[in-house]
Amino acid sequence: MSGHATIERLSAFVDGELHGLRRRLLARHLRGCGGCAARVAELELMRSRLQSELRRHPAPPELRQRVPTLIADLSTGGARERGARRARVPGWPWLVGSALAGSVITLTLLLVVNLVVGRIAARDIVAEAVADHVRATLGQHPIEVASADRHTVKPWLAARLDYSPPVQDLAAEGFELLGGRIDRLRGERVATLVYRHRLHLIDVFVRPLPAAAPKAPRRLRGFNVAHASGGGMDFLAVSDVEADVLNAFLARLTAETPAR
Amino acid sequence: MLAHERFEEEVLPHLDAGYNLARWLARNAHDADDVVQEACMRALRYINSLRAGQGRPWFLAIVRHAYYDSLKVNRSSELAGDPDGFEEVMVHGVAEDPQLAAERRDEASALARAMEALPLPLREVLVLRESEELSYKEIARVLGVPIGTVMSRLARARLALQKLLPPMNIGRDGGDSAQGRI
Repeated sequence: MSGHATIERLSAFVDGELHGLRRRLLARHLRGCGGCAARVAELELMRSRLQSELRRHPAPPELRQRVPTLIADLSTGGARERGARRARVPGWPWLVGSALAGSVITLTLLLVVNLVVGRIAARDIVAEAVADHVRATLGQHPIEVASADRHTVKPWLAARLDYSPPVQDLAAEGFELLGGRIDRLRGERVATLVYRHRLHLIDVFVRPLPAAAPKAPRRLRGFNVAHASGGGMDFLAVSDVEADVLNAFLARLTAETPAR
Repeated sequence: MLAHERFEEEVLPHLDAGYNLARWLARNAHDADDVVQEACMRALRYINSLRAGQGRPWFLAIVRHAYYDSLKVNRSSELAGDPDGFEEVMVHGVAEDPQLAAERRDEASALARAMEALPLPLREVLVLRESEELSYKEIARVLGVPIGTVMSRLARARLALQKLLPPMNIGRDGGDSAQGRI
């Protein structure tokens, strides 16, 4: 690369949106060009300033209350018309019939059904976790024990559960512990740790490890989901932070978790 | 699933994101409220065009359209000019309505004031990136422009913001300016 890099390219580099050869070429150029390297430092400084100082405006409570009512009212008017021409969902009998044609096919189908049921169970848990996250962020009490001190949060949770979840303070790495609460997943009471990363809330659901950790979806209803285990515990994190950040955070959280 | 159930499942969780965008676009709480309410009604009407998992960029695009439509009704000067023209970006002050001014004094930092003074096409791209943390691909979808345009608008937005900020807060030696670079 000769001369200076364009500001477009430097700004995309800072955003992590320059990939492959372009990224490598620019990285090499930056090592040899003080001017462009200084420009990148400037852009990074502005970026971190924007992310730490720029206020995010949440929807006012009055709007938050008004919208669901408005939507329900509008929707019931239109639902009657649509109900008349809703298509019939095709049933299962044809599938069962063809599977019975041979035992091999039946066995395959059983395996597939087992896999699918496992996936559905995992999906249900994630769906419940995402629903809890949404309820908590929309509602009035996202946190039942508000404290950045893990020596306060951990005993509070342990007193209300039959296990003691590990609680980490990762404020130094940009994940500030806000507190915890008790949620329900599949009917069981679980510990939920609440962290903040920049402007985003992250909920981490912690429970004793189930027999087999099923494959869970990575994204649901527009939220990112990360799943990990460590120290005899199963961790499920839900947030609207970027997937990479959420995965790195959860990896960090479980890496530090001592075995019970 | 009924339309309003899908709305509650997939759009309502992004109400804060939608309001935040509307608030930065409109620069006042009253208009932002109107824009978001209008956007919610449109979202319900077009809910069948929402692909699963795309709730946030999809709703943000609707909020943005609702805001631009409100500008057309009011024949706002915000719509003037070509957003990707080569001319120097004109950075204009915000008209001082007394109520808005009071609201601004209460909360706005130098940074927020600088953001509010950016022209609309630069302001929106910066909010989508820095406040909503969307990827370039998602921003391109929200704005309905190619990724290359997102890239160049973001770069110009950052240069313009840098000029608006007090020099001691950003940049270091002050000797090497943005001049001479394309």
